[in-house]
Amino acid sequence: MTSTPATPAPGSRPAPPASLPGPGTAPAGPAAASGPSRVVVVDDHAMFRTGVKAEIGQAVRVVGEAADVESAVAVITAARPDVVLLDVHLPGGGGVEVLRKVHAVAPEQKFLALSVSDAAEDVIGVIRAGARGYVTKSINGTELIDAIRRVAEGDAVFSPRLAGFVLDAFSGAIDLATVDEDLDRLSQREREVLRLIARGYAYKEVARELFISIKTVETHVSSVLRKLQLSNRHQLTRWATDRRLV
Amino acid sequence: MHPASPRPPAVDLPPVAVPPATPPTSAPVPPAAPSAGSTALPVPEPAPDAGTARPRATRVAEGSMVGGVCTGLARHLGWPVLAIRIAFVALMLFQFIGVIAYGALWLLMPPAPATAAPGLESASRAGMRDTSSTVRRRLDWGPVVALTALATGLLWLVQISGLGISQQLFWPVAFACAGAALVWRQADSAQQKRWQAEAGGRVWLAPFVARGGWPALVRVIVGLGLVGAAFGLVLAQWGQIGQLPEVLAMTSLALAGLAVVVAPWIHRSRTALNTVRAEKVRADERADMAAHLHDSVLQTLALIQRQAEDPRAVQQLARRQERELRTWLYGEELGGTSLKAALTTAAAEVEDERGIPVELVVVGDAEPSEAVQALVRSAREAVVNAAKHSGADKIDVYAEVTEDLVEVFVRDRGQGFDLDAVPEDRMGVRGSILDRMARHGGRATVRSRPGDGTEVRLEIRP
Repeated sequence: MTSTPATPAPGSRPAPPASLPGPGTAPAGPAAASGPSRVVVVDDHAMFRTGVKAEIGQAVRVVGEAADVESAVAVITAARPDVVLLDVHLPGGGGVEVLRKVHAVAPEQKFLALSVSDAAEDVIGVIRAGARGYVTKSINGTELIDAIRRVAEGDAVFSPRLAGFVLDAFSGAIDLATVDEDLDRLSQREREVLRLIARGYAYKEVARELFISIKTVETHVSSVLRKLQLSNRHQLTRWATDRRLV
Repeated sequence: MHPASPRPPAVDLPPVAVPPATPPTSAPVPPAAPSAGSTALPVPEPAPDAGTARPRATRVAEGSMVGGVCTGLARHLGWPVLAIRIAFVALMLFQFIGVIAYGALWLLMPPAPATAAPGLESASRAGMRDTSSTVRRRLDWGPVVALTALATGLLWLVQISGLGISQQLFWPVAFACAGAALVWRQADSAQQKRWQAEAGGRVWLAPFVARGGWPALVRVIVGLGLVGAAFGLVLAQWGQIGQLPEVLAMTSLALAGLAVVVAPWIHRSRTALNTVRAEKVRADERADMAAHLHDSVLQTLALIQRQAEDPRAVQQLARRQERELRTWLYGEELGGTSLKAALTTAAAEVEDERGIPVELVVVGDAEPSEAVQALVRSAREAVVNAAKHSGADKIDVYAEVTEDLVEVFVRDRGQGFDLDAVPEDRMGVRGSILDRMARHGGRATVRSRPGDGTEVRLEIRP
């Protein structure tokens, strides 16, 4: 969080991107763009990493793993995977710090956050820092593979809980004077999409329910994600801070 | 443990000859006693955080001869205990410097906090363990008598040899020392007992010993009496016993002045002490909670091992444990009986009973009016239904509270059913969900298609 000058350590590293895998990296060749997604797993629990690898290993290629912020930044900038599975709680500053440091040198890197915490400020925090989705660790293998694919394709992944948090954060009376154009509120359609996701609907089911295409659902969700990340909404930050200390 | 050498005995002397270096100053000592006693108290409590490189200088009960000062010092400095003991004895031969130093250190060094594993400490606090067997210093009279005899002999030797204090001063000094030692010893033991009581020892003893009680009072009175005797002795030796009233008046005046000066300081350290105590209580609560959770994790792990062949039971156990831990670590405190709390409880119950994960998302919250309670009961019934009949591996519950409407959706991706095909007399859906909602002015709609899961939508005005 505090050590923002992210560039020195990772900045010196990515120069030879493919040849210098960080500690703990599996062979990280610049594989063909198509084919299975290339994934880096960042989690401080070795047992969890092993479990995840076993579960998703068939469908994606795990090209590296890391257990703390520093090694994660090194591995990610070296391997340049399609998607990083990022634990929210990590030694060395947490997932948010990894996002910040990697995005300083590779703004396009896609992250999917996962955590056991489910605490509002963790979820919103990591999304606002730039993750493209959030899922809980209890997610099953198929759903996780699906979420990785979606993130790799540039879409956003919202769990029911995240949708609930967002609805909560964007609900309530808005002081019209502070509304920053559209960024500070959800459109009617976006709200509908989020409500369905919160009710446990998959994107496909949302599309069918609202008589729109899956692509449109994805667009709406991405738009919500953008608002979540860019909105300066006073209420959003206060909402998150209110929940900081329970 | 006594390293049976002739030296340590002499170290036994100090308690009998503690602070008053010179007779005249022995008078002001008693008023200072409570303050020193209470400032020393806050120290031992935050002690656990100290001691990374070198252990803090504390009096160590285990392996101690007298007050544990030498043992504590040895541990602190990393020197052999015997060397320090010899040094103290040697110093004693020069005008009792060793004795005085020992006494001062005794007062200044806090007793070492006895720490056990967090789980055990917590269990002791909660009264779930038998704590009577905890290590205590037992007074062994044999060595004490021997040591006292030896010490007296040594003292006498010193006096005879002319190295000691002149005969005229000796008895007053001895009296004053004994009296002051009694008083100080009282402060010390009270402090220890209180500390022990707070750590979960014999709580019933705490008010008795720590806040006085007659043994303490007797000790203080006898101590003060001895000091007074010393005082009188000095006066008598000077042949000015006739001026006793004036001297007494002057002394008490001086004491009163001192009390006025010292009072704010005492008060401040009292307040600090209370704060420290409150903090300790809070820390204890948290530690207890953590211990409880760890304990339940252990239980769960044991159960899982025993039921390893039953994947469903294992999953159920794991799920329940996960929920408990998550709520404690990251969850919000759901106080009272709001909609959110009620739904959370209901979801958890069904999860435990049926072994199916229930994902609950709540946006907003509402007061538990009668209508809301009916809604929660209906929602619970719907979740139970889904768990029983749908065959789905997960149930999603979503509740949203807006200004004039509370909605709950219960959804599963199970086999679904045809509502019209459900016989009229089946209570589940009709009785406990549809009718109940209608009775409270709400509405329930069931949407289900065979093969496509079920969604029950409940709505009501709060």
